[in-house]
Amino acid sequence: MAGSTIDHLVSVTVFLGALLLFISLFNQTLQTAILYQRHRYLAAKCSDLLDNMLLTPGIPTDWGKSNSTPTGFGLQDPEFTQYRLSPFSLMRLWSSIGDPVYYPKTGKTYSNITMGFGNFLLMPSTEAINYATATRLLGINGLYGFQLTIMPIVTISITETKPANPLTFNIDVAGKGFPLANANVIYCFIKVIQKGQGKYPYYAADYGSGYTDARGSLTLSFQGISATDSYALIVHASLSGLMGVGYRERVTSDKRYVLPLIDSMEDRRILLAHSYDVHYYGPPESAVFYNATFVLLTEDFTLREMPMDNSTGKIGKVNYGQGQPYGTLTIPTYNPGILIITYESNNEYGVILMPWGMSSMAFPVVFGDNPFSREWVATDIRQVIVNDIAYQATLALWSYEGYQVIG
Amino acid sequence: MMRTVEILLVVIIITAAFIISSFFAVLPLPRRVSPLNLRRIALTTLQMLDVNYGLSETVFKDLSDPAWGHLQIALSACLPPNIIYNLTVYEVQSEGETKLYRFIKSISNTESLGIASDSASYLAASSNVTFHVIPEKIGERGSGGTLYILNCSDANGWWITGYTAQSLAQDLYNLLSPYFQATIMVQNTTQLGQLLNGTKISSSPYESVTNAVVINTCGEAVPLPSGYYSSVGVGRDASGYYSLYCHTLGRRVSQYNWTWISIVGYPLYYVTNTALFSNEQNNWGIYGMKHVGEAGLNAFLRGINGENYVRDTQWITLGGGGNPSSALVHLSSTAQYFTNYYGVYPNAYQTATRAVPSWIQDRYNLKATTYIFDPVIAGGKEWIAGATFIHQNATGHINGKFIPIGLARTTDIRITALGILSYYKPRLYRSEYTANGTSRLVVLQLGQIGGI
Repeated sequence: MAGSTIDHLVSVTVFLGALLLFISLFNQTLQTAILYQRHRYLAAKCSDLLDNMLLTPGIPTDWGKSNSTPTGFGLQDPEFTQYRLSPFSLMRLWSSIGDPVYYPKTGKTYSNITMGFGNFLLMPSTEAINYATATRLLGINGLYGFQLTIMPIVTISITETKPANPLTFNIDVAGKGFPLANANVIYCFIKVIQKGQGKYPYYAADYGSGYTDARGSLTLSFQGISATDSYALIVHASLSGLMGVGYRERVTSDKRYVLPLIDSMEDRRILLAHSYDVHYYGPPESAVFYNATFVLLTEDFTLREMPMDNSTGKIGKVNYGQGQPYGTLTIPTYNPGILIITYESNNEYGVILMPWGMSSMAFPVVFGDNPFSREWVATDIRQVIVNDIAYQATLALWSYEGYQVIG
Repeated sequence: MMRTVEILLVVIIITAAFIISSFFAVLPLPRRVSPLNLRRIALTTLQMLDVNYGLSETVFKDLSDPAWGHLQIALSACLPPNIIYNLTVYEVQSEGETKLYRFIKSISNTESLGIASDSASYLAASSNVTFHVIPEKIGERGSGGTLYILNCSDANGWWITGYTAQSLAQDLYNLLSPYFQATIMVQNTTQLGQLLNGTKISSSPYESVTNAVVINTCGEAVPLPSGYYSSVGVGRDASGYYSLYCHTLGRRVSQYNWTWISIVGYPLYYVTNTALFSNEQNNWGIYGMKHVGEAGLNAFLRGINGENYVRDTQWITLGGGGNPSSALVHLSSTAQYFTNYYGVYPNAYQTATRAVPSWIQDRYNLKATTYIFDPVIAGGKEWIAGATFIHQNATGHINGKFIPIGLARTTDIRITALGILSYYKPRLYRSEYTANGTSRLVVLQLGQIGGI
């Protein structure tokens, strides 16, 4: 009788233990499978969402050129099909990487897509499309988070190897995974012509071309440039359909300068602010005299000036502090180009470039939330064209719902 | 003891079940769980390489041409470092219904594309290919089919700043003559007078005065033949106003069922004849022209509608008479479709300063069809900057059409062409695309390396 009871007890205990063990083992397998399925769904959603953003122009189709908030989100250039993006819609995306800039005279905060000193692009928060609006328009608000990165494929780094006699540069052209050997390089050298204190300086442009060597490098030199001259160099490189833009400036006045701020996309109006009004430098400083020119980049990459009347704010003077108004100017066209502003302050000179249309200076775009510390992030890639410049669009997508989700 | 043995047997069975089910329930590799869409990357890469037809040019080059090397460098440079590729080019050969793909060349940065790869294909056309497009002629399947372009050497234009009526006439001829059975330049006002009389002015067997299309290239001015059509009671009223000529013109449009096109500005605002008005000017220094004013358009509309002549000086368009000065107008969806169909691409939005009000439809028995621009509301009224207005008589028959393009100067004749083509819709017959040796298929296959 006792033996039978012990047998019973041992068998039931072993059975229950085995049952629990196998339930947990099967459960783990099922759980992993479900998780894999979710991740696969997320990857498919990522691909679909990226196509949705890149293959529709949004509503209205020309929202990139207006001040209005779109009712449908899309970045395609309405004048083209396939993966061609509007350089103006991209300008209106609130940048996730640059620190926002506050300008007290307008009381607005500006999205900062500046690429180093002298290459400014500042879009007011009232016109920039923020992440929350984009998720709402895409119908993923509260369900998914994303970060959209649109980076130029061709990177052109310009190094000044000799400051004068002759001024020499080393140009390195590379793609995502390889240097661009034998690329056709066309350059435009802009020298600031010094007119004297209190005058409006202008520029002289010099053009040339060359080819990169097997390492993707090219050396350029310019005679007749002294170490105190201010300049800007814009370089355009292309090979078999891949095109990119690079730039570099040298200025003698890097504290007092003119800061271009976009005021209205619809009216193509730009504000020109004294740098002291934005950066709050110390003691009182002198006014800045500027001369602005808008140029289009033609197919052979020569610059073609689009004339602006003086009444549109082509030349002027700005100062900082209360009672000193900012300058305004109107870009004459919606064709992408570059706003070149030469300036003088206290006999120091410089040049500022601002792209009109994201692609004119191959500015990158980073839009959306930060994917860092998300549990599972799916990514997908497309090669896109923005006004003939090659970019790579990457979407990182993560889910806010479901099992094992952090955040 | 027996039960323990039984339980152990059960445990062995469940363990076996678990092992067997685990064997079949193989989880995929993480790369397959969350894959890059390699097919899309391949397609967009090919499209990018062909942005300025660079790829299409390269794949037709000799195999020893350095352009193939450049293509490989570009391909390596634009793909992420962990992506491996194989690009293969085939020539497309057609034999009847069958298509053969002959291998031309392959470029790769790897010997094997690994366990998972995907590909996209792209058809490149040779730049040497000549594509024939044969348009259907307007009038081929019905009446009409004659286009008259007013190219009067004895008339001046207004609001066609930067052009002359003659240069616009030539451009319109080049643009539209393939679509008409007969395109005839009306070389002077005398020939216009003959037309108004219903007389043919050329030897073309296809010329037909009735149901013709007439384009006035003089902008806001309209050529006036001397003689009968400038006489009292026909061209000018008892008070000397030439708005009566516009009324007569309206009657002729209705009588011959013409499609009358005003290419820019306020229609029929002046009459022009350099001989008749050699000492007259339009108040802006253009001689050979006489002011008619707002009464011209009103008289013309009355003429089309079969009403008696009344000199009505009410300004009815935008830009005057208490109406808004201008409005921004957008190409209608129909017009946008036809821009692609006919390859005529004017700017998608324009400034209208002389758009006609929509109420003229009720007032003059007109009906706006095939809008070039979507109507806009401004100043509480609806304005139409471009559409074909058809006039229907009491029996419902169409007798007369009017296309007023109420845009600001300078004139864009592509809008005129688009307006005519979207109304008549001549078909385009395109030639065969895949002729032998003219197409090459480019296949880009991508794989991933690294990771698991």
